[in-house]
Amino acid sequence: MIDDIAASGMEMNDMYAAVVHDVKNQLAELSLLLNARGDAQQELGIALNAARRLTELLLLQRQDSDMLEINVDLVDPTDTLQLLVAEYCDLFPQVALQVDVSEAPQLGFFDHALVRLALANAVHNACRHARSAVRLAARRQGQMLLFEIADDGPGFPPAMLSDNGKLPARASLNGTGMGLYLARKIAGLHTLEGQQGCIELANDGGAVFRMILP
Amino acid sequence: MTDFARFTNKKVMIIDDLEGMRAQLKVSLSNSGFDKLHILSSIKEGIDKLKTEKYDLILCDYFLGDGTDGQQFLEYLRTRDLISRNTIFVIITAEQALEKVMSASDCAPDDYLLKPFTTSQLHARLEKLLERQEKLAPIDRATDAKDWARVVAECDKLIAVKDKYFVEGCKIKGAALIHGNRPKEAAELYRQVLALRSIGWAKLGLARALDMMGEQDEALRIGRELLAESPRFMAVYDFLAKLLVAAGDKQGALQILQQARALTPGTMSRIRNISSLAVSTGQPEVAQEVMQQALEKHKYSPVREVSDYALLSKALTEQDKTEDALGVIKDAQKSFSDEKSRAVLAASECLAHQRAGNEKLAEAALAEAMAADMEQLPAEVAAAVADACFAMGREQEANVLLKQAIQNNPDDSAVRERVQGVLEAAGKGVEESRALIEGSAREVIQLNNDGVRKAEAGELEDAIALLSNAAERLPNNLQIVGNAALVMALDLNRNGIKDERLQVCLRYRDMLHGKAPTHPKLTQIDGLLNQVRG
Repeated sequence: MIDDIAASGMEMNDMYAAVVHDVKNQLAELSLLLNARGDAQQELGIALNAARRLTELLLLQRQDSDMLEINVDLVDPTDTLQLLVAEYCDLFPQVALQVDVSEAPQLGFFDHALVRLALANAVHNACRHARSAVRLAARRQGQMLLFEIADDGPGFPPAMLSDNGKLPARASLNGTGMGLYLARKIAGLHTLEGQQGCIELANDGGAVFRMILP
Repeated sequence: MTDFARFTNKKVMIIDDLEGMRAQLKVSLSNSGFDKLHILSSIKEGIDKLKTEKYDLILCDYFLGDGTDGQQFLEYLRTRDLISRNTIFVIITAEQALEKVMSASDCAPDDYLLKPFTTSQLHARLEKLLERQEKLAPIDRATDAKDWARVVAECDKLIAVKDKYFVEGCKIKGAALIHGNRPKEAAELYRQVLALRSIGWAKLGLARALDMMGEQDEALRIGRELLAESPRFMAVYDFLAKLLVAAGDKQGALQILQQARALTPGTMSRIRNISSLAVSTGQPEVAQEVMQQALEKHKYSPVREVSDYALLSKALTEQDKTEDALGVIKDAQKSFSDEKSRAVLAASECLAHQRAGNEKLAEAALAEAMAADMEQLPAEVAAAVADACFAMGREQEANVLLKQAIQNNPDDSAVRERVQGVLEAAGKGVEESRALIEGSAREVIQLNNDGVRKAEAGELEDAIALLSNAAERLPNNLQIVGNAALVMALDLNRNGIKDERLQVCLRYRDMLHGKAPTHPKLTQIDGLLNQVRG
């Protein structure tokens, strides 16, 4: 079965992957250059966001051919959030990033790499729309683990609250569609004893993104 | 960024083939407070540096110019114990999907850094890793000494705290129990973890423990289930292949490993496995293709071994491509010129000439292979020369070499498999080969027991003669070497110092210490010697 996948159209995929890889390397170099200058946060943010979208694109391709799989391990959710803050505090110096882990469990069960990617997308969007602050929280909700990213901006547009996670008909310019679609898929792949992970969007003093994992 | 001091003293190696990334990583790390940086562009330089320096942290890009990737480099370092377990190894990659493949291999890096990243991100990540390094230091020290009982004890301390390192503690403890041949406890631990959640590494660990407990069917079932759930869990392929080989299904093992190879180029150890399975199942063309491709990719890389060329040459010889086989040997001689390698390559040359019908040249090559000091040869070399001996009809010499290899490595299952392979290739049946191996192993155990019994009966001189004789012949058999030192120490302690004997005793003691610094016999030997030396 695996041989079949390798044989069918892998060459084109390999080429896509190689080009994406090369572009990401260039963006990596650019990012570090901008980072070193110290006065180019905005430009740095653009480069990093572009790179993340390429990563999402590759994941989307995997998901499309049913090759997106998750490997659950025990992870400290506090570490996850703190690393996200470290990532975004440089990029959005005007936004106050707060971590609330007072009620966070010591350990969570999830695919660290994929969940981190989905949350990074949410944090990025929150920072772009926030007036002054973004709050990252982790806590237990019943038997589930909940991650919450909340900003104090204008909130999600109504269409987004009701789109039910379909892939946007056309690639939107700000990139939220693809990221959100992927986040739903990633959450949904986390299952346990009949329970399934999900994404919730709400407006409550700003946009609130929740990822709930069993 | 408050604790610059924490970073200042850390020695860091960076390997990246892109000049721009090297320069920028340097700036980033310097800004974070690191000032002992060695920035290199290839793993070859890295290996050279590691001969003289110890590092706290190695940052290595995944894709490196010379064909060998960061993951293969890490496997090379870990399997040869070239870095401490406490050295943090981080792989930098632009490909998120790679993380999955690597994290599920047996030699997983401590972390991954997905490119691109910011200085703060790098800093935050390293801070967490250094915190973990400190926390795990006592466990890692025990791991470096291969003192599995102490690893378990240190893990128990960590687990008892029940902080975020709880899981890490369980994971390392499980592996140490497996290494220390305590499968029942390992199985129990893995079952406890699995009661929390179905986690891949715990399932694989349980399967490994069950295999050791003789429950191969259940181990196989769990392994297959795991593969169906997570096809990118690469270590499972290797484990299943091992189970199948043990069950006599080499063809099935080969298939599994080929599936793994379709997913990722994989480490050299898997390539070696595939190639030798292919040769021993009569598919030399498969072995040729796989090994040729790997050696082409790793052309200038230190991950190649002389035995890889021997295997390729054998695969070619078996297809009657003896000219090509000789060409491969010639090529290998350029990179491998030490005595052991020369013996291996001469043995390969002998096989090729013999196949081509050039008996004289074959004889000459075998003579060259056997010119090396046979008693000092590592098992791998002895097996290669024995293979050539069989081909030339010199069965008795072959048997001596194989017996030596088994007795000198009593606990090494890889050596047993290799010897089994040589015997089967020489036309011995599976059972006959197994009996030969068991016989050799029993013989040395018997010898050891005789020595110990004589010592206990007060016949110290006889015991010393027996055991020291064996120790000279089997310098790698720690039980023999340790007991030889012990009976000599006992004699010195009871009957007074004799200079010459003390020298020999100390030599054995140092051999033991060099190979197993925490061997329990050392305390006994040193205790006896200290008493007499005051």
